[in-house]
Amino acid sequence: MTDPQVALFMLGIFIIVIFLGFPIAFTLMAMGISFGYYAYFDSHRMWRAYERAVENGADSWTQFELWVDGFFNNNIFDLFVNQTYSVMTNEVLTAVPLFLFMGYIVERANIVSRLFGTLNVAARRVPGSMAVAALITCTLFATATGIVGAVVTLMGLLAYPAMLNARYNVSFASGIICAGGCLGILIPPSIMLIVYAASSGVSIVQLYAGALLPGLLLSGLYLVYVVSRSILQPQLAPRPTEDEVPSVPVGELAVMLLTSFFPLAFLILAVLGAILFGLATPTEAASIGALGGLVLAVAYRALTWQRLRESVYLTVRTSAMVCWLFVGSWTFSSVFSYLGGEQVIYDFITGLDLTPLQFLLLAQLIIFLLGWPLEWSEIIIIFVPIFLPLLPYYEIDPLFFGILVALNLQTSFLTPPMAMAAYYLKGIAPPYVQLVDIFKGCSPYLVMVFISMAVLYNFPQIAFWLPRMIY
Amino acid sequence: MIRFITFADSVSAWFGKAFAWLILVMTFAMSYEVIVRYLFNAPTAWSLDVSFIMYGALFMMGGAYTLSRGGHVRGDFIYRLWQPRTQAKVELVLYFIFFFPGVLALVFAGWKYAVRSWGYLEVSVNSPVGVPVFQLKAIIVAAGLLLTLQGIAQVLRCIHCMRTGEWLLAADDIEETEVLLMEQGAHDILAHGSEAIDIVRPSTGDGSQDSKRP
Repeated sequence: MTDPQVALFMLGIFIIVIFLGFPIAFTLMAMGISFGYYAYFDSHRMWRAYERAVENGADSWTQFELWVDGFFNNNIFDLFVNQTYSVMTNEVLTAVPLFLFMGYIVERANIVSRLFGTLNVAARRVPGSMAVAALITCTLFATATGIVGAVVTLMGLLAYPAMLNARYNVSFASGIICAGGCLGILIPPSIMLIVYAASSGVSIVQLYAGALLPGLLLSGLYLVYVVSRSILQPQLAPRPTEDEVPSVPVGELAVMLLTSFFPLAFLILAVLGAILFGLATPTEAASIGALGGLVLAVAYRALTWQRLRESVYLTVRTSAMVCWLFVGSWTFSSVFSYLGGEQVIYDFITGLDLTPLQFLLLAQLIIFLLGWPLEWSEIIIIFVPIFLPLLPYYEIDPLFFGILVALNLQTSFLTPPMAMAAYYLKGIAPPYVQLVDIFKGCSPYLVMVFISMAVLYNFPQIAFWLPRMIY
Repeated sequence: MIRFITFADSVSAWFGKAFAWLILVMTFAMSYEVIVRYLFNAPTAWSLDVSFIMYGALFMMGGAYTLSRGGHVRGDFIYRLWQPRTQAKVELVLYFIFFFPGVLALVFAGWKYAVRSWGYLEVSVNSPVGVPVFQLKAIIVAAGLLLTLQGIAQVLRCIHCMRTGEWLLAADDIEETEVLLMEQGAHDILAHGSEAIDIVRPSTGDGSQDSKRP
């Protein structure tokens, strides 16, 4: 087998092992090491000292020792440790645990119930008022936490029963919670964009600036959909009775907004503003956000020792999960491209004679399909980098591509068999809610994701306007 | 066997959790940097290096803890349909092919790398202050050792599961979650997402009282 064939073989085995369900980070590490050992194998160089010792007639123990030394004298080990260390000192990824910590703290800050309650009252007169309130709460809360599971479970325990009690259609209500909860990985500050920045080398500040408007666009589309469905089919979202949502005088409502909506919005704006205006690096801004989250939690008298401990432990688990994936994938991909696998894919795709639009559609279709069985972290860290070297050939801006991917991956949480958002909701929903109902409710949102991608393709200014204005 | 598994779980958890607290240190250190930079116009020289060291140590040492709680992401859409016994058999084989080569390389190659760095007490090149980074290279070896230990425990877990037909779960640290998950039988769902997640009960009242228990 030639080296490029070995590389393709390596990719093939890797995909099979993914499907067997073994932890992906370690699979990548082990395959990187073993195929790398083959790629960098050079018996003459590795066992030079041993051969000399044999010629000089050294005793058998020394010979054995030198042979073992020679066995480990393969460049792959240096490469592996260097790649590991470069993940450990990556200045983009340092923001990951901080943003996660902020998210877990905000999740525990007792803020959602106030927020939802307030918005519910404030949106009383809008058609589908509870749905609108739930969607806005989801957007704001998701933006602050960036943890999909946190938003979906918390909103599922809070807004979902409220909507069901108000005789909302089960599918309709489920779709709102699931789709709204996923917005957090798109709207900055989000972990997914940090991870894309680390994989692609695009500046994280520009990515955040670029993703802001498309994220709000998608959220706006969701809102328009919810309101228009509620107008067209009022039976899906009946107007709440006075009992369910009491009317509140304007003054009191203002106080409620002031204590629930604004602190969280202010926290998000402070973090985002500091990053976008270059006042702080994303890592620093994330730490300020985490500190702000702690302050909020104290202010809402929600910070207990137990909750702090939980947030800290959950932070380390998710950080380890994401970052170990990088440790594995950087070694794997450098071996893959050393063997010439990257070049084979490059030649193959450029040989297809696609137009840039066809290439973009193909890439997004593959990413969409990968989103059915896999989740965003694997896709961005492992599969998206395969497309990245092709972007200059088709003259596609990696920033633009990244935002399309980020929009696209919204669907990875909503498509079976691994639709995490739907599973989270199913896990906490009343037993009569079927998974099928949830999927049915999610499907209109897939269409809206595609619409937003098409809009973005036709009006790329949506993504480029803010980054260009800042620089 | 069960004793060894529990032992490995608790060692991994102890280290993982101990290093997890670095997130608080990191939060305060970075915030301090921002505050002194803007309020006193006196930026620190060490903050960049400190952020690397905290973050690197945090996630590396959390690896084994995450493994013991089944938190590493896997594409398990087929896997989850199997009987636990089948899962265990497949996993047992895969541990030897796809787990140990990587983590052992981490220990041995990391060892050479760390020894070289300790030899001249390497410091960071990012700033003239000379923040030491040789300890960070030793973290690679330590993380590899922890993972090896936890890997052996995971292999024993597979064997245990093949015998009894049930997975032996690690004790969960987040008690509230545990109670809720027992109720809902949703453990499987939460364990295999691409983020560590638990269920927080939303408060129902005015928010001033704590809502620990449903």
